[in-house]
Amino acid sequence: MIELVHLDKIYPSREGDVHALEDISLTINDGAIYGVIGLSGAGKSTLVRCINLLERPTAGKVLLDGEDLTSASEKRLREVRRSIGMIFQSFNLLEQRSVEANVRFPLELIHAPKEEARERVKELLELVGLSEKAAMYPSQLSGGQKQRVAIARALATRPKYLLCDEATSALDPQTTQSILELLKSINKELGVTIVVITHEMKVVESICTDVAVLDKSRVAEEGKVADVFSFPKSEIAKQLVIPNLIRSLKAGTGKKIRLVFRGETSDTPVISGLALECGVAANILYADTKNIDGRTYGHMVITLEGGEAAEKAKRYLGRCNVLYREEEDDEVICSAGL
Amino acid sequence: MTKLFVQLGFEGFALGAFETVYMTILSTAAAYLIGLPLGIILCVTDRGGIKPCVPLNRVLSLIVNIFRSIPFIILMVALIPAARVIVGTSIGNAAMIFMLIVAAAPYVARMVESSVKEVDKGVIEAARSMGAGTFSIIWKVLLPEAKPSLIVGAVISTVTVLGYSAMAGTIAGGGLGSIAVTEARPSNAQDVIWLCVALIVIIVQVIQELGMFLAKQTDKRVRKNKKIKEVKEKVS
Repeated sequence: MIELVHLDKIYPSREGDVHALEDISLTINDGAIYGVIGLSGAGKSTLVRCINLLERPTAGKVLLDGEDLTSASEKRLREVRRSIGMIFQSFNLLEQRSVEANVRFPLELIHAPKEEARERVKELLELVGLSEKAAMYPSQLSGGQKQRVAIARALATRPKYLLCDEATSALDPQTTQSILELLKSINKELGVTIVVITHEMKVVESICTDVAVLDKSRVAEEGKVADVFSFPKSEIAKQLVIPNLIRSLKAGTGKKIRLVFRGETSDTPVISGLALECGVAANILYADTKNIDGRTYGHMVITLEGGEAAEKAKRYLGRCNVLYREEEDDEVICSAGL
Repeated sequence: MTKLFVQLGFEGFALGAFETVYMTILSTAAAYLIGLPLGIILCVTDRGGIKPCVPLNRVLSLIVNIFRSIPFIILMVALIPAARVIVGTSIGNAAMIFMLIVAAAPYVARMVESSVKEVDKGVIEAARSMGAGTFSIIWKVLLPEAKPSLIVGAVISTVTVLGYSAMAGTIAGGGLGSIAVTEARPSNAQDVIWLCVALIVIIVQVIQELGMFLAKQTDKRVRKNKKIKEVKEKVS
């Protein structure tokens, strides 16, 4: 378990101190894939570097399985870092070492026996699907392959945690997806707890179990991904989760209802149900839903004509067990849960 | 053909060329024994380095700058008493090598420093995240990653030392510089002077080509890609 307790990070500079992190408190449970999302400059990268103390927090504690790392010795820190793998946006492979030698690097640091190291490297390259590239050099690989090597390298010492700093930001959407799949399987099969730093909502959506939304050096919102996505409370979370939704609420007339799909209602054809069972014509202003593992997630905004029709529709939605909210304008949207 | 030219003969020129090469290589190698660690310390202890120690960095940097700013011809004269104390003589090849080392070491240190500074900060950070200590980072990251650049630096340093060695020839040791300046100039033996020039040009060319070839060979960043492309082109 990783616990960040009232973390502060201040970079002193001549033009005045820069407050990169302000009173950050987060708990990352074992087995989670924990997303930290925010716009650039929100402090995400500083935050992740505070976990393995590549950056020393100005105040606050970092507890790793209960041990306070901020008061650990330099030697102890080096030991601890071996149980926290890290991958980066720019891969950071050793350019003068072959793929194999890159993966072996952390094993050399702990003076692992040669034979054992060789076996482990082979295993890891198999895991990331790059066995036949063992003798190649990083400059001969594509971005996705480089990140796979970096992942293999980060896992060499069998860490319990894996920190990913914008690990897919330099990759195209397809490659991003395959790297995310790999991370997911590492989480599932090896039981590695993963912290994912990103500015892309898609990344959080597709693999994270929990999420913290960072804004201006502070945690704006935190919780299970499904909850934060369905009912984002903070301004920044709304912007990130449903950027177009707010605009759509300003358009159209009549009563607006936002339907929230959280994976439970995939089988019920809600919109046709409205028309067929209640005789209410729903006008769709906005819809952003996606199917994940056969379940529907997302938001839809519809307008309903007339008071009576709206009441009928609401009763119907209630029967169908669909979460919905009546929206007046963008001010009240999502301001409360259901 | 002048009398001196005939007098020197093949053996005379060959000996001069050999002395130049051997003094240059020996002095450069010795300069690296001092300059390489010094350059690494300069880089590592700098603000934002992997083990910042600004006071030490300032002091070393100042010493290096002082030696770097003295023109070699003046430094050489100034070092005559020191040479007498340390190597027991102020003339001859031993004194000359001593002077070359003193002049070249700070130069080498700056060369090494700039090569090592080129190593990607991200890679260093990655190594730290894996629990690498200062020594491991220097030994396993900085030096291997900077290797091609270090070799290029060594070539440039060697050529610079070769230039110095010709100057040193005027007051102390032997070599082509000494032949051209102390022997050929007084009797105005133009042919001897020009042959010395030609030989030095050839030596520099050989060092340059050899060094660059070596640098390219060791660099894993692009070479293999080119090779693959070449092979692919041949196949198609």
